[in-house]
Amino acid sequence: MNTVSVNENPFGRKLVLACLLPILLVNIVAFMVPVLNLAAMSFRAASSTGSLEEGITVSTWLGLFGDGYYWSMVGRTVWFGILITIITLLLSYPLALFVSRREGSLKAFLVVVCISPLLISAVVRTYGWMVILGDQGVLPSLIRASGFTPPRLINNETGVIIGMVEILMPYMILSLLSGFGKLDATLEQAAGTLGARPFTVFRRVVLPLSLPGILLGCLLCFVLAVSSFITPKMLAGGRVSLLATEIYDQAIVTLNWPLAACLSVLILVVFGAALVLYGRLSKIVE
Amino acid sequence: MYLKVDSLEKRYGAFDPSVSNLSFSLAQGELLGLLGPSGCGKTTTLRMISGMVAATSGRILVGGHDVTGLPTYRRNMGVMFQSYALFPHMTVAENVAFGLEMRKHSKHEIAKRVESALAMVRLNGVGDRKPRQLSGGQQQRVALARALVFEPDILLLDEPLSNLDAKLRDDMRNEIREIQQRLRMTTIFVTHDQTEAMAICDRIVVMNKGRLEQIGTPHEIYETPATPMVADFVGRINRLKGTWRSDGAIDINGSMTIRASRPGARGAPVLVMVRPHRIGLVASGSAIPSAEHENVLAGTIRQVTYIGDTLQYSVEAAGARILVEKATTSAGDPFQSGAEVLLHWSEQDTLTFAADGER
Amino acid sequence: MAKHSRRQVLVLGAAGAAGLAMPWVSRAHAQERRITVAAYSGIFEDIYKKTVIEPFMKANPSIRVNYVGFPTSAQNLGTLRAQKAAPQLDVCILDMVVAKAGANENLYKAVTPDVLPVMKQLVPTALIEGMPGPAVTFDNVAMIYSPKKFASAPTSWKELWNKAHAGRITLDAPPNAVGMGFTFVANKLAGGTDYRDYSKGIKLLGEMAPLVQSWEPKPDCYASVTSGNADLSVGYNARIQTFSRQTPDRIAASIPDEGSVFQINTINLVNNAPQQDAALEFMAYALSAQTQATFTEALPYAPTNRDAPLSPEALARTAVTPERMSKMINIDWLEVAKFRDAITEQWRRNVLTRS
Repeated sequence: MNTVSVNENPFGRKLVLACLLPILLVNIVAFMVPVLNLAAMSFRAASSTGSLEEGITVSTWLGLFGDGYYWSMVGRTVWFGILITIITLLLSYPLALFVSRREGSLKAFLVVVCISPLLISAVVRTYGWMVILGDQGVLPSLIRASGFTPPRLINNETGVIIGMVEILMPYMILSLLSGFGKLDATLEQAAGTLGARPFTVFRRVVLPLSLPGILLGCLLCFVLAVSSFITPKMLAGGRVSLLATEIYDQAIVTLNWPLAACLSVLILVVFGAALVLYGRLSKIVE
Repeated sequence: MYLKVDSLEKRYGAFDPSVSNLSFSLAQGELLGLLGPSGCGKTTTLRMISGMVAATSGRILVGGHDVTGLPTYRRNMGVMFQSYALFPHMTVAENVAFGLEMRKHSKHEIAKRVESALAMVRLNGVGDRKPRQLSGGQQQRVALARALVFEPDILLLDEPLSNLDAKLRDDMRNEIREIQQRLRMTTIFVTHDQTEAMAICDRIVVMNKGRLEQIGTPHEIYETPATPMVADFVGRINRLKGTWRSDGAIDINGSMTIRASRPGARGAPVLVMVRPHRIGLVASGSAIPSAEHENVLAGTIRQVTYIGDTLQYSVEAAGARILVEKATTSAGDPFQSGAEVLLHWSEQDTLTFAADGER
Repeated sequence: MAKHSRRQVLVLGAAGAAGLAMPWVSRAHAQERRITVAAYSGIFEDIYKKTVIEPFMKANPSIRVNYVGFPTSAQNLGTLRAQKAAPQLDVCILDMVVAKAGANENLYKAVTPDVLPVMKQLVPTALIEGMPGPAVTFDNVAMIYSPKKFASAPTSWKELWNKAHAGRITLDAPPNAVGMGFTFVANKLAGGTDYRDYSKGIKLLGEMAPLVQSWEPKPDCYASVTSGNADLSVGYNARIQTFSRQTPDRIAASIPDEGSVFQINTINLVNNAPQQDAALEFMAYALSAQTQATFTEALPYAPTNRDAPLSPEALARTAVTPERMSKMINIDWLEVAKFRDAITEQWRRNVLTRS
């Protein structure tokens, strides 16, 4: 049977365009327009009471760049994003590897188990962590029962990291599983027959072949970690100020929409940088 | 003997063993074929020898040393996989160098040996390419080079030709044999294709349902199969059921008498097997050459099938259908369907097995 | 949190679109006028619906009131801001500081006693210079405590500096309005005399910081005490009192002797509101003496109508008993609005970092 090439068939090309058009429109309306609005908002003026004023100004931007507080906030946000992503990766990788090596219905079951947390909203799961990590919570009580003084696990950076890692693990596991396509048990056996010890097999064969999945998972988790505000808000106890939580405060509490817009654009820049890095690294890995 | 496999057994759970009571051995430089239908345990055997699968019981000895408990990476055996198992993220040269790196050779030494290994499989100049940029046959050669470059004690080939097309398969088969001979490499070659095994192996182990059926040279396997299974597996064959008579001949349904070179016990049921191309075919009434030790049967041709290099005749004789094969000639078909013919074959070509399978 | 407000906006938007798409529907119901009132969600919503909205609809069968609740005043204003071109709200009840921001953007229409005669019955403090609408409730910042942990009600804010409560204190830090108000309480405790110079307060708050468990208790400061996670916190009197009535053994309010600060909600008519007349009728009802009294009996916000016939018990629960009134720290919240960001900044640099 001959396959009809889309490029050679003008009717086929039109059809493809027609099929793409709706999603293109949705993207323009639901993504581009709000982003442009956001950029425009960052040039509006806000009074000290939070009211929006007429006219265009770059003062919010200048204020932002001139204030070391926001620079350190960007730095902290990126650092937290990286830290959370790395911990998520370290915890998810063995799980994903284990699941990817099972077969048939057991594998399907394990995949469902791994991603089932996504069925529950992040808010509910975070409340769960508050119950577990809280001063009267399950974990500190256990530590106390075994005769130690529990460290503070919530209302600080530790709580945010624990909560975020758990929230992000399903995404990481899914990305890793999708990226493990090139992994083949035969390759590992082949390396073994060539004289590679198990750890060498992992380092020289398994790890390089799972890099695409690792990169994808890291990009996804970094972006989600940097942009999430519900979990940090609930577990930080006001002690960890990140870009996303600051945007929330400025937009919802202080009503300084221009500043919130500036910070949102800043976060987009961070994401852009992450994407570029991802693109570069993917090319190296390929 | 260089490699000795002794009473090897593999069980998975409570199922029938995949491999049981398997013993054979190889001399240095010998090429041994592991032949059998799929699921017969030949690949499991290979994996036990290489250490990828742990044996349930039994021993594997290489050069007198028991390697049964050794992990794969300490067995020093080169393995070529059915899927080639080339590392997709490494270049051809890196793939070939892997085994040498694991053995901590110097960079210079590695480069030299990789180059000569690639030359040996006639792949000079593709070292910088990734495996996916090569054809199936080329990938095959890389896999062979990779398995041989570190001078393994034993080379294990797992269905190495099954992913190639027919023409390439014959070339590659001969190339493997040629290299094996040149290096005097002790080699085990797993295959389900009897032609492949016959063509290049010094000896062949025929396996069925996890057990060894017969071990011998290709000639022994073909000419004196130990069991009906072996006879059946290594080529087309006619089967007839009969009973030993007191005069050493075999009675088939009371309507046919066949003589074999070695008689069996009187009254015992017997399975008679004759290869189609060992049966002579002449027109009814013609003289049979050297008729003394020949079985002769009269029959009628019921069907003629032309398959290019051979003609297959389905002949009805004494109530049975007997398949006869003749090489074709440019003169055309000598017999037509419905022709009255005489079948004849020598006593030596009459294979007999006790009806329960033993000879 | 943000998801909620977004969903509500969507619902409002969808409702608006449906209204536009079906003009015959509104014509058919020309007799019935619909207004939308935006105020707080939670306990405020429950009680306001029962004591104000439903009786109003019974008294005015031709007007249907749709209540939209927001967790914070800022979200209330944010929603109206997003609808500036075509408002879907008619009346907004929200904190005066936030309302002022909306007033600066001309989101509200100033009302006068001429169009809203009931304003003449309001206490003078309810009519605030520069605000488009009058005050509808008075409340004040109070101390939340767990009765199980205190033999008698703590009578001083200084209890929050008592090391015995280390790790058992929660406090909503600025930009939250409670934290903002508490800054001035702390400033007075530290000997500050002018709320515009709150540096002493910040210094004192820094000393309290190590004892604090969370600067952003979830779901809120009241629940942190009710659930037993904390023993002391700071919140709004009316809400504490109401929760205390529900679970007296778990939460109680104290307005310490050092005094406190007011929190004022104003009621505002939306500029270009779809149903101005009906909205004004509702505002008149909401500010009437009887309605104010009914609401205060149920939820101890102090009334702004001086004629509200309050029972002594209800009055005692509010912030406007003469004895409490005398202790209040006098603050012009519109003045505070100008240096809100600076207060938040000071907290971040000198308070939160010390915990």
